[in-house]
Amino acid sequence: MSAETKAWVRAEQKRGKAAARLPVLLGAGQVALGIGQAWCAAYLLAAVLHLAQRGLLVALYATGFIAFAALRAAAGMQAERLGFERGAAARRRLRNTVLSTILALGPVGLRGKHSGELAATAVDRVEAMEGLHARWIPATALAVIGPALVGLVVLWVDWRAGAVLLGAGLLVPFAMAVAGIGAGVAAKRQFIALTRLQTRFLDRIRGISTIVLAGRAADEANALAAAARELRQRTMRVLRVAFLSSTALDLAAAAALVIIVLRFAGPLRHDHALAPTALFVLLLVPEFFAPLRAFSAVYADRMAAEAVADAFCALPAPPAQVPAAEIRSVAANGLTLAFEDVSFTWDRARGPVLEHLSFRAASGEILLLTGASGAGKSTVMDLILGFIAPDSGRVTINSVDLPELVPAARTKMLAWIGQKPMIFAGTIEENIRFARPEAAGEEVAEAIRNAQLSELIDALPEGIKTPLGEGGFGLSGGQAQRIAIARAFLKDAPLLLLDEPTAHLDPAVEREVLESIKRLATGRTVIMATHSAIAVEFARNSGAKRLDLDSLRHARKREVLA
Amino acid sequence: MSPVSRIFLLWRRQKGWMLLGAALFVAALAAGLALMGASGRYIALSLLGGGVLVPAVLQYIGAARVVLRYLERVFTHEATFRALAGLRIWLFTGLARSAAGGLGYRRAGDALARLVNDVDALDGLFLRIFLPLLGAVLLTPVLAVLLWRAQPWALVVLLPFGFVAFYLPVLAARAAGQNGVRAGLAMSGLRSAALDALSGLREVKIYAAEGRMLAAVQAREAAYLAAQRELAGQTSALNALAYFVAQAGLLLAMLIGLAGAPVFAVIVVFVLITVFETVLGLPRAGLLYGQARAAAARVVQAATSPPQVPEPATPAPMPAGNAIAFEHVSFRYADDLPFVFENLSLQLPAGSRTAILGPSGAGKSTIAALLLKLVAPLRGQIRLGTADLAALPSEAVRHRIAYLGQTTHLFADTIRNNLLLGDPVASEEKLWAALEAAQLAQTIMSLPEGLDTWLGEGGQNLSGGQGRRLALARTLLSEAPILLLDEPCAGLDADTETEFMKVLNTATQGRTVLLIAHRLTGAEQLDRIWRLTGGMLMAAAG
Repeated sequence: MSAETKAWVRAEQKRGKAAARLPVLLGAGQVALGIGQAWCAAYLLAAVLHLAQRGLLVALYATGFIAFAALRAAAGMQAERLGFERGAAARRRLRNTVLSTILALGPVGLRGKHSGELAATAVDRVEAMEGLHARWIPATALAVIGPALVGLVVLWVDWRAGAVLLGAGLLVPFAMAVAGIGAGVAAKRQFIALTRLQTRFLDRIRGISTIVLAGRAADEANALAAAARELRQRTMRVLRVAFLSSTALDLAAAAALVIIVLRFAGPLRHDHALAPTALFVLLLVPEFFAPLRAFSAVYADRMAAEAVADAFCALPAPPAQVPAAEIRSVAANGLTLAFEDVSFTWDRARGPVLEHLSFRAASGEILLLTGASGAGKSTVMDLILGFIAPDSGRVTINSVDLPELVPAARTKMLAWIGQKPMIFAGTIEENIRFARPEAAGEEVAEAIRNAQLSELIDALPEGIKTPLGEGGFGLSGGQAQRIAIARAFLKDAPLLLLDEPTAHLDPAVEREVLESIKRLATGRTVIMATHSAIAVEFARNSGAKRLDLDSLRHARKREVLA
Repeated sequence: MSPVSRIFLLWRRQKGWMLLGAALFVAALAAGLALMGASGRYIALSLLGGGVLVPAVLQYIGAARVVLRYLERVFTHEATFRALAGLRIWLFTGLARSAAGGLGYRRAGDALARLVNDVDALDGLFLRIFLPLLGAVLLTPVLAVLLWRAQPWALVVLLPFGFVAFYLPVLAARAAGQNGVRAGLAMSGLRSAALDALSGLREVKIYAAEGRMLAAVQAREAAYLAAQRELAGQTSALNALAYFVAQAGLLLAMLIGLAGAPVFAVIVVFVLITVFETVLGLPRAGLLYGQARAAAARVVQAATSPPQVPEPATPAPMPAGNAIAFEHVSFRYADDLPFVFENLSLQLPAGSRTAILGPSGAGKSTIAALLLKLVAPLRGQIRLGTADLAALPSEAVRHRIAYLGQTTHLFADTIRNNLLLGDPVASEEKLWAALEAAQLAQTIMSLPEGLDTWLGEGGQNLSGGQGRRLALARTLLSEAPILLLDEPCAGLDADTETEFMKVLNTATQGRTVLLIAHRLTGAEQLDRIWRLTGGMLMAAAG
């Protein structure tokens, strides 16, 4: 575990400790009530042995015993519920942090991270943090407070027995450490190995069709069995040592009990009045060791948290807040986009993607962006979208520098259609309204008509309320693209960015989709990046200007060579 | 048979370990009872001024208990690990055999992944449910005899015992069972909301939907936490009730003891302390059982569902030839669904290169599924060489047909192990030759750890194009004479796609190739191109 991860876990623990005061107090209360119960039980047992007065006092102590038991049950229930609430609060907080960070970073900040992997952090890894907050943190505090409380009471009623108990209590961590020094370290490694095996199994199950279709199911089953066997053998080697720490607890408890019995056996022969005290102390022995047992039982919760901590630390820091520039927006009627001498480099080793690029797309113009993969088409898009900032030069909208615009105003000005639109789990209507949730019903209907989705929607029994996404109606590539077009219609932004909008469509569908795009483009400033010959031809017919990033680059090379 | 018993039945192979674990558990419990009984007796006697020496028997029982507890922990865990490993292999083998191979093929990988969580939910079945229950059942007669001997009406203490040991667990199981469905639904809602927000980041930013997406995830989270909170509330109430009733039982025993033989009464109270300690965990076990039962049902159902295409009872020998012929094949996925195609015929001569094009949903992938024996024709026949595909064992067919599909998975493993899936005994040279053919050798060679580079989940560390080429290298490694490529370029940009197709042309020389795609890049070298629309194959101009 790296120093950074350790620090993160420590910070989480510190945060958790602050929130755990009430449950720890309740836990201490439970111990105190347990002491009260033992006091009552000791008197009752003495009465059974005819060593204490019977009669009214018995009734009194019996009432006390049951009342303490009821209070202790209630305190336990409350502590459990509070534990859950703290676990829930921690999960809410962590999930909010993870998601807000990712959402703020946007797609560019997370390059190379699989969305499934990010979702695993936001969902499963956050869940794995529950135990640390709900159980481990209060248990660590109580493992000290509980025995100390019991030990002090015993010390008070009989200092010799108290000394024995506290001595055993101090020996316990020592014995546990001796048994667990190797085991503790190894157990952590083991926990990681176990997590790996689970991941491996999960991965093999996810890819089971690949294995089956390669005809390798039997081989892979054998490999899984061998991996499980090896892990079991290693785990058991660790557990055999680790269980010794539980055994140390058992031994300490038994030894303390025997010594205390011996301590009282002599004096009791002469002094029967000592009987309730002796019984009280004996009944407190298990009470003394219970918080220690509870502590070792939740150790796995801490390890679970440590195992997932890396993923949280690996998240990039959220982007710095944009310095409070003068708040500006631009009039939305007519929009001119310009690049002035823009250069950008993703990776220094590979050289700049854009060098001194300048162009202008005036209001109502279509600018066709062509060039091979890697020529910088997507970089141009990302610059306009504000996901990245130019290394030098300016990107302007109506002569205003992009970073000077309030982000909300900038987003309002542009619509974007990519290769494959994201279809969210939700109805067709919700998916279209995604562009502008507050839109009126009539506006949505118009967007649907304009995107030529009416025919599809009318044919569906649930119409506009048909669910899409996982488990919902499966849209074809062209239909999904029409949803994206409807979104853009609904948003009605003056600047339209089209990033290979037809790359995944077959030619017949491509032509139809381009027709809808043509209608969408009317009256807007359009930047369209494409490879497709059909799309290029289509844009030409619509009077587009063309900017070929490849020939621009070659020209620059020639210039440099000349 | 209930799914839980089905799983226990499955564990009979670990019978020896489980019996040993259970025997040690019972022995440790008995030693605990004996120790407490003997201690109670000794304490009572010494309080009454009796024996002063710690009886030797107490030392022996004490030592035995410590040792037995240790052995019990070791052997019950050993048994659990063995049982769980067995269960996983059983699930894997069952899934591979059943329709799930085809399910994964139809992109239901996540549904399968949830099954893995279900297996993990079963790990407490032996240790935390079966053993405590066994303890409670065995304790009942022991306790009854002891109480009877104290005084007959002390038997009334059996009531709180039974309440805690048997009644509360049933309540807990019921609560957990009902809650489990809700919590499960809420969890998958949360998961898909998170996945939605994260895979649509671009759209989310562009449409300024960060706040909305976050709110959607948090709403699902709140629903999930509400379900959990309800269960936590019920559980904590049951635990509190169990504790209180157990304490009431102890009080009852003490009050009854006032009227009986003093020493024996103390023995009973001390034994009862251990007894209640043992059964206090049972309501929680009931809760676990409620969760495990649903998980067991899903696991058993998934692992035992019959294969979509039954294996031939007496498989025919594999034919020599590799020509493929679809003869008047009709197929639909279910009786109430329309035919994907009717009366479809297609010839793929050995060594020929054919493409089938068509929009998504036209049934292109169904042709692949039929060839791979994931589904079987309703009418008509598919022939491989001279044999009817239906008469051939599916594993042998799949060794003859190397498949590269859009969902072909890259495993979180080394590059080497990913490649070896294509041919487990391939030599180092052969691996490099395949990488060379897929034009990936340069890239891999430049990695510091070369073939032993670890690939992240889903093949991270490689770009999309590199990942597809690695999958191609794996496909090429298998010496199968037939290559079936189903949208091998899904998710690649146009240039990478063209590049990939060029690689494919040279790498697949001499094999029968069937390429399934929604469109061509123009770089493919093909003998024949078909277009599949409306269930009909039509020759398409190149």
